Amino acid sequence: MRYKILTVDDSKTVRIIVRKAFKTYDCDILEAGNGVEGLAVAAKDTPDLILLDITMPVMDGVEMLTKIKADPALKGIPVIMLTAEGGRDNVLKIAKIGVRDYLVKPFKEEALIEKAGRVIDLKPLSEQPAKAKSIYDSADILVVEDKPVIIQQIQEGLKHTPWKIHGVSTQGEALDFCTKTPPDLMLMSLSLPEEGAFTLFRLMRTNVKTKYTPIFALVVKTETGQQQQAQTVGFSAIITKPIDISELESKMCKAMNLDTSQRYFSHEAGFLIMKLPENCSPSVVAEVSNYLKPKVSEAVDAGHARMVIDIHELKTLHMGVIKLLFQTMQTCRELTLQFALVGNAQIITECKGFEDTRNWVFYGSVDEAKANLGKAAPAAPQLATA
Amino acid sequence: MPAAAEINEPLIREYITRAVSDVFKTMLGRVPAFVGTTPQPNGSAAPVTPNHSQQLYVVGTVGFIGEVNGLIYLYLEEPFARLCTCQLLGMTEPELEEAGDEVINDAIGELTNMTVGGFKNGLCDAGYPCKLTIPSILRGSNFSIEPISSATRHTFNFESGGHKLVADILLKAGD
Repeated sequence: MRYKILTVDDSKTVRIIVRKAFKTYDCDILEAGNGVEGLAVAAKDTPDLILLDITMPVMDGVEMLTKIKADPALKGIPVIMLTAEGGRDNVLKIAKIGVRDYLVKPFKEEALIEKAGRVIDLKPLSEQPAKAKSIYDSADILVVEDKPVIIQQIQEGLKHTPWKIHGVSTQGEALDFCTKTPPDLMLMSLSLPEEGAFTLFRLMRTNVKTKYTPIFALVVKTETGQQQQAQTVGFSAIITKPIDISELESKMCKAMNLDTSQRYFSHEAGFLIMKLPENCSPSVVAEVSNYLKPKVSEAVDAGHARMVIDIHELKTLHMGVIKLLFQTMQTCRELTLQFALVGNAQIITECKGFEDTRNWVFYGSVDEAKANLGKAAPAAPQLATA
Repeated sequence: MPAAAEINEPLIREYITRAVSDVFKTMLGRVPAFVGTTPQPNGSAAPVTPNHSQQLYVVGTVGFIGEVNGLIYLYLEEPFARLCTCQLLGMTEPELEEAGDEVINDAIGELTNMTVGGFKNGLCDAGYPCKLTIPSILRGSNFSIEPISSATRHTFNFESGGHKLVADILLKAGD
């Protein structure tokens, strides 16, 4: 839903500043130069929010506000006064007529956005809506944790990513950081004193810039009460200590909606390569499984007819991986794609131990697999068996 | 009704300095420095430009009426007015040139409105409730403004990045 904000001010300058302030948010700005025009626009377009000046020619803001509140069709529209009239008595008098908030000029654009964001669910416009962020793009991650060793552990564990992991130890530092650099994701320790993480979480959710930022709770595994509380207030995910870094990374990618397919799928000279990592956790299996069909379809569409399934880095074979491999082979068959497996000695041995996988044939390297697939007739889809 | 004389010079200086500083800092990121007052013998209308310069000025005016009545003129040299307008609206000089003087007038009118608003809100909170009037703009060079005889006048000079800014305050004596 695209919100409509009506600015009623006789100063074109203020209307331009308002338009400028909201230009990176998903909303339409309507304008009126006095109360009469403002009422007409409000009646015609039913805005979601009115920003109202007081001193204006033709009809001033107080009269317009009074008329809005007397009109059953308009009285529900929230009004924020945006005016140079700021004496205590004036503010109190106007507040009694019924305004949602009051902002005295001069004002900072951020203050206006913050107040409007408390009234309507303002969403920032995506800068690049067509292109999803990938795991190779940088991101700012803020860790709010009073134990430096945890921050170090996260920084160390995620150092292979292009993400900048910033660590702070107090709520105040976190607020300062977010004012300067709204992070892409936050990790908050629930062990901050005086339930600081919950207070900080609420503040983040009322700030328009961090309203949609994924926030993870960091909590000791045995603290089930805190975990339930975090789930109730709406933390995006619960990360238990001791932290499983690969699980954390996977959840972070998902929360930031990152395209991680490049981690598992690539194209090499006419071949689609699917490569599974050393540690294939259930979340990794789920991730690869989600990308599988679109990636194989994309490859076929691009003219690739052969695929190498590379699991030579895999340390242990478990049912999740076996199911994924079956799913991959089935997808290849459906899309008439030839494929070959690449594995290591241990995996090959483990495969021999299962009825369903004992006939699988593995090549020792991707190059070998590619060479053998090259020899095969392109139109003959096959399970690479020996 | 309290007499304007009760609102003394230090109070006026405090309110206007704070108002100018708040507006220019918040809206333009500038911090104007107070550089002194211009003495006004017996409330006479001395021109703001001592040498009757031919420099073009853009002057914003906003009044306040209520328990205390008055007017404030905010004088900006035309190049400074252009600079402030560009900063306030995020425009470049060529864009401003294309937009025309109306945009400058409106921007200076609004800066004056905010400044006088800040000043008069101080008066309201000090027990002199009053309301703002709609801004107006005066343009020209080598002119002076003569207050009516019952008004007192206080002229405060500011400087920001080498540009002069003058707040000329006229207060009507209490009825």
